[in-house]
Amino acid sequence: MNHTTRKWSLRLVVILYLGLLVGLPVGYLFIKAFSNGFHAFWIEVTKPDAIAALKLSAEVALIAVPVNTVVGIGAALILARRKFFGSRALTLAFDIPVAVSPIIIGVALVLAYSRIGWFGGWLISHGIQILFSPIGIVLATMAVSLPYVLRSVLPVLIEVGKDQEDAARTLGAGAFRTFWQVTLPAIRWGVLYGVTLTIARTLGEFGAVLVVSGNITGKTQTLPIYIYDAWDQNYDTVGAFAGALVLASISIVALIILSTLRARERKLHVDLA
Amino acid sequence: MSISLSHLTKRYGDDAVVDDVNVEIPEGSLTAVLGPSGSGKSTLLKLIAGLEIPDEGRVVIEGDDVTDVDPRHRDIGFCFQHYAPFRHMNVARNIGFGLRVRKQPKDVIDAKVAELIELVRLEGKSKSYPAQLSGGERQRMALARALAIEPRVLLLDEPFGALDAQVRAELRQWVKELHRQIKVTTILVTHDQDEAMEVADQLLIMHEGRIEQAGEPTELYERPATEFVHEFLGPTTIFKGASIRPHDLELVRSSEGAMEGTVQSIMELGFEVQVTVALSDGSTPWVQMSRNEFRAFEVATNSPISVRERVAK
Amino acid sequence: MDTPARRPSSELGAPPARKGWRRFSRRLRTSFGLYGGASLIVGYLSIIVLIPIAAVAAHGFSFSIHTQGWGAAFWHWHLSAGFGIFWHDITQPAAISAIRLSLWLSLSVAAINAVMGVAIAWVLVRDQFPGKWFLEAFIDLPFALPTIVVGVVLLFLYGTASPIKVDLFETWMGLLVALLFVTLPFSVRAVQPVLASLDGESEAAAKSLGAGGIRTFLWVVLPSLWPAVLGGFGLAFARAIGEFGSISLIAGGIGRTTTASSYIYNLTQGFLWTNAAAVSTALLVLSLLILITTNVFARRIQRRLAS
Repeated sequence: MNHTTRKWSLRLVVILYLGLLVGLPVGYLFIKAFSNGFHAFWIEVTKPDAIAALKLSAEVALIAVPVNTVVGIGAALILARRKFFGSRALTLAFDIPVAVSPIIIGVALVLAYSRIGWFGGWLISHGIQILFSPIGIVLATMAVSLPYVLRSVLPVLIEVGKDQEDAARTLGAGAFRTFWQVTLPAIRWGVLYGVTLTIARTLGEFGAVLVVSGNITGKTQTLPIYIYDAWDQNYDTVGAFAGALVLASISIVALIILSTLRARERKLHVDLA
Repeated sequence: MSISLSHLTKRYGDDAVVDDVNVEIPEGSLTAVLGPSGSGKSTLLKLIAGLEIPDEGRVVIEGDDVTDVDPRHRDIGFCFQHYAPFRHMNVARNIGFGLRVRKQPKDVIDAKVAELIELVRLEGKSKSYPAQLSGGERQRMALARALAIEPRVLLLDEPFGALDAQVRAELRQWVKELHRQIKVTTILVTHDQDEAMEVADQLLIMHEGRIEQAGEPTELYERPATEFVHEFLGPTTIFKGASIRPHDLELVRSSEGAMEGTVQSIMELGFEVQVTVALSDGSTPWVQMSRNEFRAFEVATNSPISVRERVAK
Repeated sequence: MDTPARRPSSELGAPPARKGWRRFSRRLRTSFGLYGGASLIVGYLSIIVLIPIAAVAAHGFSFSIHTQGWGAAFWHWHLSAGFGIFWHDITQPAAISAIRLSLWLSLSVAAINAVMGVAIAWVLVRDQFPGKWFLEAFIDLPFALPTIVVGVVLLFLYGTASPIKVDLFETWMGLLVALLFVTLPFSVRAVQPVLASLDGESEAAAKSLGAGGIRTFLWVVLPSLWPAVLGGFGLAFARAIGEFGSISLIAGGIGRTTTASSYIYNLTQGFLWTNAAAVSTALLVLSLLILITTNVFARRIQRRLAS
């Protein structure tokens, strides 16, 4: 087998594998969407339950994304700029949510904070219910989307180095000014990258939310759960499909943003793991 | 004295990177801290700036004990080895940063920035971003940024380290000239003895965290206090069992008061010629001389020749 | 020579600092920035991740803490049967078959994608052809798509009403396809940057010594890729063994295709929390074990390469 045939056969194998595994399903999703027609799609996504699910998903994202962004940047700053006992353990702890099944995260939250959990008695006596409530959904979502900002910002922060911050200090700038005017502009693409990943993960989270939400239609259904429910309980394939299309479109927009950012800054890698 | 350091010590773990440094730096001087890499010279500079916190000792600037003062309150101009430009700000905004921190009115800032841009010869570049500047231009921008706050002391960390040879030579002259104009007490860190000798009026030789010797360049060159200083400040060779500068040796025809030997190798480096001689005692010192001196001897490899210490005329 | 005129002390002085206070305040701020920030972060992390995970493990061993209200601050530690119950829960036939299914599916998926990941990374890094960027974009799609979307699409495509007449509903093949899909980016992205960073000098050297293309790859390129391939394997495995959304639909509702995650979910639907905790603990230990093992091996190889 000579060099050219080898090159072509490898190329062919790779294209076929990717085409069949990824291209076919994703392509099918969009072809099917167009064949159903926009009108059918619009009717499905404007159903009250669908709208309620969309709204809850958006609300959860509005809480989880800012909190995780602040925590992620803060943790990245501390890990990149300070050496302290336990810093390695802290980095590892941030990775737990990607290494553990979302179902387990859900079970874990229930066993810690629901009526049967460690702190359930106290929480419920103070009127805070975690299981079957939006609070539980927010907690679950925050847990699974925790690592992404840290993972995107930390390498950029290390790469940029400490010199610009030191320079700002010698010029008289305080901690806040240094952060807002020097550090943040230097890492802004990394932050944006991490935030985009966090949003994508937040809107798409399914397993952990399913366990804690109790799946109450119109009340504790996020968009992914609505899709699951439409299919699994109501055999409403058209509705499930319409919901899937909304989520898929959001994630493809996110993907485009991510690759644009990556093309801009070669420092950014897909830190999936 | 503009800066005085007493018993200044910085340890990383058990290693003392800066070890009990006591030094007085005169007002308005241009002092070079010279030492091999890892000698603690950059750390010393950061201790003066407050970017590192000393384990022991005091830093006093113009009579003011600043040891426990945050760098932002020290009134120090610091130029980083890689210049640390604020990449997302243009040249004018970089230079004006310290003035904006000090809440100066806009017209004052603009005037000062314009003045500095002229001083560091970056006219026409005020709207450029650091990425669009050459290494030398970035360096001058960093200098202007540090000077904008009218610092009590200017600290330069390996200011010419990252530049190519020609730009380097120009900038050295320029910095020397600039210092003559503005007279601010300046400390620069370098590992290049030629650079230190050329630019500075005071030298501090550092070795393994300690100050080996301090003083004027010629004094250190002529009367080194330690073997390390002697070897670090210029080339040395061994003659009659002692370390000596090769330009303090000369070739002679007659063996009177000299040691006999044969020429082992000749290296012609333009104006300078280095002749290595194998002597009768087995040593092989080398002699540094000018091209014209060398011509007068008409020696070749293996010619018999004698070597003696140069007699002062 | 001009006299060294002392620069008039300017009105540009640094922002003032109060003297007696400053040593104390500097130390305070330096350590507060670190320990204050770190403890806030650790606190948040504990609430949303660490405490819950600890609760799972504790419940798995039926080791529970009952809080009788903070006011009374009465903690009642209660250890009952412990390991016996844990062992009983995870050795249920249904639990064993679910864990076994997850285990072999995840290992196969990680292995298949490890091989394909190297091939794909090779083509993406070394090959040039029009439309390559399109393939590149394909790689991240499985990561960006929410798992339930993947589940829905795969069920449409490979379900009982498959438009291409491939019915994988309630079969292990269906699970395999779903897991290959979601783990693809981990395998490719682990290898790709390492392959790109190889300078090609050793390869050129091998070729100049007469080694053929395949031999060069096996002897020169692959050894430097091993740590990355192993890393990708570990990540893909961890992802596969925990995966739920993308397989929840195509798996249907029968025991034969119930993976560990689905099994745990089913237990929670019956409010069998203690059993769910036990199986979760087993699964946690398993995925952490694989992640740590591959990491240790990858590091060992890395060290040998570096020295």
